[in-house]
Amino acid sequence: MSSGSATNFLIATVLKRGKAVCCAAGCLLVLTLLDLSGSVYADDLEFFEKRVRPLLVKSCYECHSADDPDGGLNLQSAAGVLAGGDSGSAVVAGKPEQSLLIEAVRYHNRDLQMPPDGRLSDDAIEVLQKWVRLGLPDPRTNAPLASGPSMGMSIEEGQQFWSFQTVSAPTVPSVRQTDWVQTPIDAFVLTQLEQRDAEPAKPADKRTLIRRVTFDLTGLPPTPDEVSEFLADDSAAAFSKVVNRLLDSPDYGIRWGRHWLDVARYADSNGLDENLAFGNAWRYRDYVVDAFNNDKPFDRFLIEQLAGDLVPDANEESITATGFLVLGAKVLAEPDREKLEMDTIDEQLDTVGKAFLGMTIGCARCHNHKFDPLLQSDYYALAAIFKSTKTFGDSNTGAIKHWHEHSFATEEQLEELKKVDAEIARLKSEASSFKNKSMADIQITARDKAAEYLMAASMFDADASLKEVEAIARPWQLHPRILHHCRLHLQYNSDDPVFARWHELAQSDSSSRQSASDEIEKHYRSLFQQVNEALVQAKKTNPKAKILQDVRLEEVRKALFDSSGFLTVPAKPEFAFDDQTLAEYHKRMEAARIAESGAPDAHAVMGVSDGKVLTSLPIHIRGSHRNPGEPVERGFPKVMLAAAAQPELPPDQSSRLELATWMASANHPLTARVYVNRIWRWHFGTGLVGTTENFGVLGDRPANPELLDWLASEFTNNSWSTKHMHRLILASSVYQMASSHRDSGLVNDDPENRSLWKFPLQRLDAEQIRDSILAVSDRLDRSLKGKTVPLRNRQFVFDHTSIDHTKYGSLRRSIYLPVIRNNVYSFFSQFDFPDPTMPTGSRHSTVVAPQALLLMNADLVMDSADRFATMLMEVPQDSQKVVQAYLRAFARPPTDHEIRRALAFVGESSKTKAADSDVDLTAKHQAWSLFCQSLFASNEFIYVR
Amino acid sequence: MASDSSIECSNAGTRRQLLKSSAVGFGHLALNAMLANTVNGSGSIVHGADGDPLAAQVPHFPARAKRVVFLFMKGGPSHVDTFDPKPLLDRDSGKPLPFDLPRVTFAKQGNLLRSPWKFSRHGESGLPVSALFPNVARHVDDLCVLRSVHGTNPAHGGALLKLHTGSDQFVRPSMGAWCVYGLGTENLNLPAFVTICPTLAHGGVNNWGSAFLPAHCQGTPIGNASLPASRAQVKHIANARLTGSQQRRQLDLIAAMNRDHLRDNPAELALQDRLNSFELAYRMQSAMPEVQDLSRETDRIQHLYGIDDPVTQNFGRQCLLARRFLERGVRFVQVTHSDSEVQWDQHGNLYQGHTKNASEVDKPIAGFLQDLKQRGLLQDTLVIWGGEFGRTPTAQGSNGRDHNPHGFTMWMAGAGVKGGHAYGATDEYGYYATEDKMHIHDLHATVLHLLGLDHERLTHRYAGRDFRLTDVAGRVATDILS
Repeated sequence: MSSGSATNFLIATVLKRGKAVCCAAGCLLVLTLLDLSGSVYADDLEFFEKRVRPLLVKSCYECHSADDPDGGLNLQSAAGVLAGGDSGSAVVAGKPEQSLLIEAVRYHNRDLQMPPDGRLSDDAIEVLQKWVRLGLPDPRTNAPLASGPSMGMSIEEGQQFWSFQTVSAPTVPSVRQTDWVQTPIDAFVLTQLEQRDAEPAKPADKRTLIRRVTFDLTGLPPTPDEVSEFLADDSAAAFSKVVNRLLDSPDYGIRWGRHWLDVARYADSNGLDENLAFGNAWRYRDYVVDAFNNDKPFDRFLIEQLAGDLVPDANEESITATGFLVLGAKVLAEPDREKLEMDTIDEQLDTVGKAFLGMTIGCARCHNHKFDPLLQSDYYALAAIFKSTKTFGDSNTGAIKHWHEHSFATEEQLEELKKVDAEIARLKSEASSFKNKSMADIQITARDKAAEYLMAASMFDADASLKEVEAIARPWQLHPRILHHCRLHLQYNSDDPVFARWHELAQSDSSSRQSASDEIEKHYRSLFQQVNEALVQAKKTNPKAKILQDVRLEEVRKALFDSSGFLTVPAKPEFAFDDQTLAEYHKRMEAARIAESGAPDAHAVMGVSDGKVLTSLPIHIRGSHRNPGEPVERGFPKVMLAAAAQPELPPDQSSRLELATWMASANHPLTARVYVNRIWRWHFGTGLVGTTENFGVLGDRPANPELLDWLASEFTNNSWSTKHMHRLILASSVYQMASSHRDSGLVNDDPENRSLWKFPLQRLDAEQIRDSILAVSDRLDRSLKGKTVPLRNRQFVFDHTSIDHTKYGSLRRSIYLPVIRNNVYSFFSQFDFPDPTMPTGSRHSTVVAPQALLLMNADLVMDSADRFATMLMEVPQDSQKVVQAYLRAFARPPTDHEIRRALAFVGESSKTKAADSDVDLTAKHQAWSLFCQSLFASNEFIYVR
Repeated sequence: MASDSSIECSNAGTRRQLLKSSAVGFGHLALNAMLANTVNGSGSIVHGADGDPLAAQVPHFPARAKRVVFLFMKGGPSHVDTFDPKPLLDRDSGKPLPFDLPRVTFAKQGNLLRSPWKFSRHGESGLPVSALFPNVARHVDDLCVLRSVHGTNPAHGGALLKLHTGSDQFVRPSMGAWCVYGLGTENLNLPAFVTICPTLAHGGVNNWGSAFLPAHCQGTPIGNASLPASRAQVKHIANARLTGSQQRRQLDLIAAMNRDHLRDNPAELALQDRLNSFELAYRMQSAMPEVQDLSRETDRIQHLYGIDDPVTQNFGRQCLLARRFLERGVRFVQVTHSDSEVQWDQHGNLYQGHTKNASEVDKPIAGFLQDLKQRGLLQDTLVIWGGEFGRTPTAQGSNGRDHNPHGFTMWMAGAGVKGGHAYGATDEYGYYATEDKMHIHDLHATVLHLLGLDHERLTHRYAGRDFRLTDVAGRVATDILS
């Protein structure tokens, strides 16, 4: 690349970076213009042109130039140099010792070193020092001062942005097709369709509707009985009866609680760097399921999750809710504790912002938000509140810090657990002493044969394979891996005097190896003999003697007793032990692991409490805790204060409660909008605002802003009741439309169905797929609640062994399967279960071949198909078998064509013999099982119309 | 491919819409996949940007490398004992480090500790390699030894995540996922990114995940570190209960049902995709075992990789498997050398542990390089070797070394990099990178550059931000380009 094009390339990329990428470096905050005292002489300018400018161009411009320079420091102009960057003034004219730029190039401060790819020459550093000493002579006026945007949108502009305006109470529009309007929702949707001269789809048939609403509210398919009951009910209230039945079922909380768990990035393990089990997270999960089943008002639900420990009526339930703040993935082994604390706060702010406010607050950690009206000071005003909150406990596992928990254990329980802990410790230490003892025995045996090892080692070359070594070791009864290592050791330590004789004697020519080996034996056997005798002698005078006075013998003794010397025992038990010892060791290890996994935990909940209260926190320049700037008082984001005023913050508390109460007020411009949009998303597959976690500038604009505001005010006017919103939405004509509408003109104009001219076809979520396979085959275990992660609190899910001990064979509802970060259950992850480290309101719905592999080959699916077939085998007629299967799987009877096709398939499949199988089925049974599995794999099963 | 003929496309426009509509992947059976593209060595196959997202894409500028293989040494091999000799360390062993330790260290540091291994010069380049790697040393003229790599995180989890994803704080797409995102793949019947026996600890799946990138970018694990390579499998790739003909008949029934369903739900593009995904799954079921069948290799090749020796057979299998994936057009292959006990993490017993580890990988790596070269694959394959950090020149305990992210060695070989070249340097004891420092972000920028991708232009918008592998940093180390 020529230098000209290189420059263009650089400028282009820097421009690009400024436009698109949000970054750790950023915008100019500190504008401390220095007074340039003294005049600048021509000599000095010449010095600048000859020495300084080339240096700046060569070593600095790549990053510190153009519109959005790194660290906000632009060295391309005199004004830029004087303006400094995010870290403040770069230079103090005349004073190198006070100039950050000089400090950086000197490379003495490890946190501040420039240029980053290596220190400048001493000469170059002196040029810069001189330049500063001279008062920064600099003729460059042509290059403009960095004018990168200090923020994406000002507070004033922000208050005009749709999502920061107070929620309006729109009037219900009047429409032409009044008979279609069953709820105000319909009028808002229909008015848009009528404006485009479009007709909504016809109402869905009753079978489609009950399948749709049952999956929607409970995550399960309707049973054939439920379907026929609904079909038989001709009353006007037939559908609302179904809705109420479903809302009253405990399955409702399982389905809708799981939606919230997506937002709360719920998991049963920490993930990230050190994957420790969250043995008490299930209490938060059960809290959420109960909250939905009991229709806990959302304002209260919010307050409990952010400040349940601080509410006046705090109790175990409300404190359990604060698990929300602790559930994040944390770098538990981060050795830099200050960084860990700020990173954790960042994760909390990011989650709180996305979950409740639809705001990417985390983007303002290093600089003002690039797009939204959020200041970096807003970030640290909130961070101060969380800095005053304890998210970590006082205990740790080695280098791994523990998260904070509230104990509800009784004294008796704790006493009882001490015994359990002691028993686990005993089993662990038993296993490790067994290992150590066995290793020591092998070491002693090897030492007794030290001379043989040296003899044998002279029989092969250092690059011999272990296979060849094994053949040589066998007749001598030596440990092949020790012998193999012994030969390598001799190779690596050819100048060790102890082995000088060995190297003299050892021959590379195989014909003379035998005699050499004899010589080696002669020499070393007597040498080792002498050492042992000398040791015995030494111990006679001093029983504790360990070393020998004779310098030469002492060298040999050291080599002989060095555990990582020529007789090193492999550290890996699989390599060191014989089969029997290994089996015994594994047995003991496994006993300790099982005892630990199954041991009860002390009754405790994950949750936060107030810590040392800070009323202000410095801005962290460029997000670095090593670079504090101006302190900011605790407070709430300014752009939202016009709609909802900030209360007084108590000096003796973190102010989490005040923050939560403020967020949960009906005046808050975002909270209710964000939540009703979530409800809409979970019913219709797409939110009115498509970006459920981003109501900012880069988020979508609402497809129907009046409807969104109407829903938000309806919600807050009805005690923030989620079930009220369900009843309202489900009663609408919009919800009850068919999912196909062939004649609509909008097929081409609005293929994404943003205006809702039909009900959107939706693929089942991972849990719905698994649970319905189990339900249809009558295998589903409907028990509720309780701990299900098969690990003790804080036990390693994965240690260095990478062995996966988590099993997913349970037949309970999917919400009760463990959510292991870094290794989510494959059935879930393939079907778009969300990343449990990030708040997710809108799951993806991908189509990938591994999903097909799962449905074709996974035991869960095949076992269920076998079971489904067993049920069918009890139905007398084959055609009736097909009818029953369709009713259970699809909530409809098959057509004649489908019956014929199914019978032909079963007939054909029964003819071939079953492959190797541990499940002993008759050919006919297996044929029906294949048919049932096909139903599970079909689109009709996986999609809801 | 008989059943494919039943898929009818009314017009190309609809088809294009269909392809864009759903994120699909390893794979998505789209129109392009039916053309069954496999690499033939004659050049990459370029499809329109609106085709299958996994189809091979045109890079930003001409690529030097077409594919990447990362030989990952889990635990952190010591650079001062392998590729970065330090005579002063030998001289001053036992004395304190004559300058400041980092502000944060993982464990307590002792005095300087000399290397137990001698270095000697090899090849025409005369680059020094320690006695730990006698076989790799024979290929030293192909290696570009990066002696100034540095990261930030001194703990395994953070450092693994940083190395694999560029972030130690958040879940971000992995390096391999970004490569697939940028370039697609050259064999649509196989995953675009595979990771062979990866460790499930210290970031686990995130180290090969796609995070917010489309699902087809994620790595497909073949086994994991707790399993021997001979037993490593893709999950659910085989069905032990059914015969091939039973399953074929079953897929025909599913296809018939799905076609009826599609007729009742026209214009639902995902339904068509799903119909096709079963056919691809069925083909993958046969493609995958074929790749994994090492018995198709000659004795000479098996010997070259050390598969006939118990010490080297496991890693040898992994490397040979990697070659078979690479030559079939897989874009990114990671091979992890881990272990249920020792790994490269010698806080104590450096001598013993590194001896064991090096003897397990040395011959397979050398054989792998030789094999790639013989087949002409090395010229457009980038090979990367290294761990999540290096180790301290100071002692931990009496005979170990602590984690050291401040300066360590990785090496590259193959496409686009200078052979027999040492780049950058650490200080005279090997603690800090000092010359031509190469941060992990710079390494990532350089890898992408070699693939023809500009790390600042390879972005993905998610939750209101454009993300890159290199965040806001990263420079291409142009000095190492051949």
